[in-house]
Amino acid sequence: MEGEAGDFQITLIKKPKYIDEDQCTGCTACVEYCPVKYPDPFNQEISQNKAIHIYFAQAIPLVTYIDDSCLYLKEKKCGICEGICKNHAIDFNQRAEKIEVKVGAVILAPGLEPYDPGLRHDYGYGQFANVVTSLDYERLMCATGPYQGEILRASDRKHPHKIAWIQCVGSRQVIPGGNSYCSGVCCTYAQKQVILTKEHDAEAECTIFHNDIRSYNKDFERFYQRTESLPGVRFIRSYVSIGREIPASKNVTIRYSTPDDGVKEEEFGLVVLSVGLNPPADYTALADKFGIELNAHGFCQTNPVDPMEATRPGIFVSGAFRGPTDIPESVFSASAAGSECGELLNYRRGKLTQARIYPPEKDVAQEEPRIGVFVCHCGANIGRIVDVPATVEYALSLPHVAYAQEQLFSCATNSAKEISDMTREKGLNRVVIAACSPRTLEPLFRDTLREAGINQYYLDMANIREHNSWVHSKEREESTRKAQDLIRMSVARARHLEPLQEFDLPVNKAGLVVGGGLAGMTAALSLANQGHEVYLVEKESDLGGMARRLHSTLEGLDVQQYLIDVVGKIYRHPLVHVYTEAAILETGGYVGNFATKVKSRGRVMEIKHGATLLATGAEEYRPTEYLYGEDERVVTNLELEEQIAGRDERLVGARSLVMIQCVGCRNAERNYCSRVCCSHSIKNALNLKALNPQMDIYILFRDMRTYGYYEDYYREAAGKEVRFIRYEPTDPPEVEPAVGEEGLGVLRVTVTDPILGKRLEIDADVVALAAAVIPSAGSQEAARLFKVNSNPDGFFKEAHVKLRPVDFVADGIYLCGMAHYPKFITETLSQAYAAAGRALTLLSHDTVVASGSVCEVNERKCIGCGACISACSYGAIEFRETRQGKKAVVNPVICKGDGLCNAKCPTGAISLKHHTDEEILSQIDAAVQP
Amino acid sequence: METAAPFKEAIDELRENGAEAFKFCYQCGKCDTVCPWNRVRNFSMRKLIRETTFGLIEIEREELWRCTTCGRCPQECPRDVKQIDNIIALRRFAAGYGVFPGPVKPIRTVSGNLTADGNPFGEERAKRADWAKDLSVKTFEEGMEILYFPGCYLSYDARLKKVAAATVKILNKAGVNFGILGAKENCCGESIRKTGNESLFKRLARENIKTWIDHGVQKILVSSPHCYHTFKNEYPKEFKVNFEVVHISQYLYELMNEGRLRINKDYAKKVTYHDPCYLGRHNGIYDEPRALLNKIPGLQLDELPESREKSFCCGGGGGRIWIETPKSERFANLRLEQALAIGAEELVTACPYCITNFEDSRVVLGHDDLIQVKDITEVLQEVV
Amino acid sequence: MANGQFPEALIQQLSQKFRDHHFGDVMVVGGGVSGIQASLDLASSGFKVYLVDKAPSIGGHMAQLDKTFPTNECSM
Repeated sequence: MEGEAGDFQITLIKKPKYIDEDQCTGCTACVEYCPVKYPDPFNQEISQNKAIHIYFAQAIPLVTYIDDSCLYLKEKKCGICEGICKNHAIDFNQRAEKIEVKVGAVILAPGLEPYDPGLRHDYGYGQFANVVTSLDYERLMCATGPYQGEILRASDRKHPHKIAWIQCVGSRQVIPGGNSYCSGVCCTYAQKQVILTKEHDAEAECTIFHNDIRSYNKDFERFYQRTESLPGVRFIRSYVSIGREIPASKNVTIRYSTPDDGVKEEEFGLVVLSVGLNPPADYTALADKFGIELNAHGFCQTNPVDPMEATRPGIFVSGAFRGPTDIPESVFSASAAGSECGELLNYRRGKLTQARIYPPEKDVAQEEPRIGVFVCHCGANIGRIVDVPATVEYALSLPHVAYAQEQLFSCATNSAKEISDMTREKGLNRVVIAACSPRTLEPLFRDTLREAGINQYYLDMANIREHNSWVHSKEREESTRKAQDLIRMSVARARHLEPLQEFDLPVNKAGLVVGGGLAGMTAALSLANQGHEVYLVEKESDLGGMARRLHSTLEGLDVQQYLIDVVGKIYRHPLVHVYTEAAILETGGYVGNFATKVKSRGRVMEIKHGATLLATGAEEYRPTEYLYGEDERVVTNLELEEQIAGRDERLVGARSLVMIQCVGCRNAERNYCSRVCCSHSIKNALNLKALNPQMDIYILFRDMRTYGYYEDYYREAAGKEVRFIRYEPTDPPEVEPAVGEEGLGVLRVTVTDPILGKRLEIDADVVALAAAVIPSAGSQEAARLFKVNSNPDGFFKEAHVKLRPVDFVADGIYLCGMAHYPKFITETLSQAYAAAGRALTLLSHDTVVASGSVCEVNERKCIGCGACISACSYGAIEFRETRQGKKAVVNPVICKGDGLCNAKCPTGAISLKHHTDEEILSQIDAAVQP
Repeated sequence: METAAPFKEAIDELRENGAEAFKFCYQCGKCDTVCPWNRVRNFSMRKLIRETTFGLIEIEREELWRCTTCGRCPQECPRDVKQIDNIIALRRFAAGYGVFPGPVKPIRTVSGNLTADGNPFGEERAKRADWAKDLSVKTFEEGMEILYFPGCYLSYDARLKKVAAATVKILNKAGVNFGILGAKENCCGESIRKTGNESLFKRLARENIKTWIDHGVQKILVSSPHCYHTFKNEYPKEFKVNFEVVHISQYLYELMNEGRLRINKDYAKKVTYHDPCYLGRHNGIYDEPRALLNKIPGLQLDELPESREKSFCCGGGGGRIWIETPKSERFANLRLEQALAIGAEELVTACPYCITNFEDSRVVLGHDDLIQVKDITEVLQEVV
Repeated sequence: MANGQFPEALIQQLSQKFRDHHFGDVMVVGGGVSGIQASLDLASSGFKVYLVDKAPSIGGHMAQLDKTFPTNECSM
């Protein structure tokens, strides 16, 4: 790579697949005949694959490629596949191709490499057949895995009954070959694997050997409890060693330590190593190529206040290359990197993209239905089970079917073109595609219909794969009959389909950001830097939110200085309009066209905006525990931080200080982990030790949840002789005033140390409580006003935990920061950029398309009962006064077409277009009357 | 449940005695799971470390004296707690108060013997070279190729004198110009140091170093991995001296590769090799002894189930060689059973403590006729 | 070139070079879930994106996972 931000030249080597991708249909006939078998890397080399094969079942592109193990490539022998392929897609003459690309920015998302447990030989991996890694186990569980989803042992291909998971393999260790950081995902993925194992085999006995359980993310605590409560599941707090392999059974013994009964040795049928996350395999080469720096762990060096920025301008990084990362963060850091690219390249936005142009739509509403049926083989997925030619024949016998044919892959580019060509040629006005679930490919086929010049809603999909061939793979004849039934039903429905219009709505280019903390300000700046007007609304008189109470981060950021910088940027930015001491009175409208009334310092104004970002933050719980509020020596973590920043004399001179973790959360009332407190306490402890190295500091914890790089600070604090004492929730610490040595008043903290087997009595001058992070009052208010959802704990609920982590279900509204869940500043900033990036996918367009499949009210039938209004989660239905009284009316732009209201309406006045009674009943009739 | 307050003075005293890394412990329990003690009885290193953390040590308990310093737990410890340093600090602490519980009492006698005679047995210093009487071994002189330092066990112990003899025989075959220091040789001090007697260790070491300097010693050949460890790692660290140290297994391998030593006989036996803790784990010497054995025609070398980095301790390190261990708690018994289980006719090793313990187990378990215990030199002397 | 005419070969070479160049706004390196998301976001906000991956298919490690926590649905 050469050049600089805005103008990079990158040379790529495109490796040959030896397949002409445009010709390959993915039929896999070649795979069947290929004589070379080799261990399949996608299945962790547990099973074999052929030298020519499709990378994995849902690969994109879904074409074959030829691996280095190919006989022809090695010795110019064989070449069977060339003869087999009807489309002449095999091309052994392909050579590696050099491609030069000029771009303005680069996002590095090379991901991670699982830790290799073979490195330290300490768990018998590669030595004992029945020791596997967690990634091996993922493949074992998976329906497309080596044993088609049967969890089988390598030694005897039998189901293991007793399975053990060993946590922290390769993580949280400073021994050679290990990683000092916590990988952050293994606790929860192991729990997932236990749950799924129990679904495979309810009788399975599952044991997780662990140290701390780190359920620090949203809904993880409940997930942990759910796992723990399953019958036959044990969590045992001990790191372990492998004892031996039993020669006859190939079972493996595990030795673990108990505080009371010493070391025990137990036999397991299968051992799963919860391996941690390493940087991508070729990280040094990657860093050299792109001229970026790496951190000590080999991950990309990033800037704590610009966490997607690599050390070279114009290069951004997202996903696990930034450090151990779970899926939601991989996704939102991607959106965030996107937003950063947008800031850099805003001047050229839209210059290289092209709008699609479709042929004019033919009005066929008055024509007799002429239905075309396309039956997909889906390679072998359908074709091997369902008799496709017979099904095509059958389709032709159905009323109104004017044309039918089979296709190998209906979704392939050439097949889609064939559909639009045939539709035009045969004068079809309805299309039924018998293939897979509409969930994935309906948008593609609707597009195909538009290409053919007919309304895109004249499409129906019969799902003969997920609903049929995949679940009835052993009943071929019945499966063929069911495919025909499904097609008959689709044809019946297709007859009644109506053309629907989607409409383009103009997009107001401005954004509203609710909440003027770091999240809100960062998002506002990112939007404004991409040319969008931003209205930033803050309820307090000063911007800054929670950050105003923070002074440092573990990474060494001076938070107050940073805050001053950001606030300065906000006030200086010509496109950002700040409203402080502000309250939102009401809000309405829909995606691209919102209107919100804001009252600020006595003035009320209406803001029109296309997108809304909610960054309403969180608050610190006010404890009722441990004498808080009764004894001034008991403070919260934030209060302690204030006192440290202010060099409070009594604090700095304290001889002994006790911190108590999990105050006000991880309990019945607040069943979640506040995520930041363990590291926050460590930060305070390290700062205190810096001020007064003689101070005895004790941290009383349940699980230390210093995930990711924070683990290094945990060890650092231990090295500074901060003493960590684990307590059980059933036996919490006690705090009481007492008279200590020298007759001085102290707070006596008593806590049971499970390893010591003793009650420890510590005389403390100060007790600091790691008080929970709780949802802010502002968030609750915002949830009500903007009709967005919260989770049971009161934090905003995203549209999809993993795949849409900063979107709300309602279009055009985004979230970021602590309102989503407690998080650190760096995480908040990533998420803020992400929310801005997501908002840009809306605001950068002049129009937004609303679906045609929405509800409408037949006013004559409506009795104005309001049942539909209360059923609607989007606020899409309102009353309108008419001469006949109150009538419900649907705002089609807000309606999501979920049809809930249809079911509630007592008179059948409200209906959902594209899913009308007539359409559905005709389908049901066809099902029962062949 | 007992209530106790952290005992600051004790923590400070332990720190002065060298306990430091205990503070890193996060109580994962890994040390306990690899500790050989937990194969024969309960023993928790984790708990000892935890007691150190709060200064809540009961110094009269035998627990302080169990650790054989085999090195298994520090090698696996994810937090690098350096258990051995902590254990030595605890022993210094207890020894400082003169507390030696019953089975540990012999340590006192051993210390006395070392002080008086330079060996743990109380044998006369003058008789230190008696083993070599009939072997025409030269006294070391400046300019010789190498100093042979047999150590206390090979000098005095009846069984181990055979190993010294075998060594001499091989060295002569190879034409090595070597000598010994005889009565001027002192115990290396490695094991007594592990019992917390730092001053005695230093005294022994100083005397050895002085003798070596006086005699112009540059390169030292040792038979005991314990001597090897302390000469190679501890002397340089404490006294900034830098003698070249080589263990007999390394040296023989060297001689073999240089062509100075040739194997000319078959050795048709099934043997297995036990890695001594101080040769393997503490110093990373795993390959040379195996390479030597594998060069011998006819010899079938089978690995023990716990070998190399995972080698199972014989129980003799850390001063335990002098401490009474009940029969049911001797690690060597388990190790011998392991060797028998893989069908070995000979258990070969390269450490006098290991040989002492295994020979003892052979008798105690009544396996005299089933398996032989040999030093690697004893095998080699028969084939060169 | 003296008479203002480019040799045929040079013209071909230049135009070939131009054809060999691909122009885009952003290159995303890595086709896992993060790379895919970045590409989609950028493409939907008006940028031309090149997405490159070393494997024959996009999907990355997430494609290898059976299901994903904490909701345990399919990750495809």
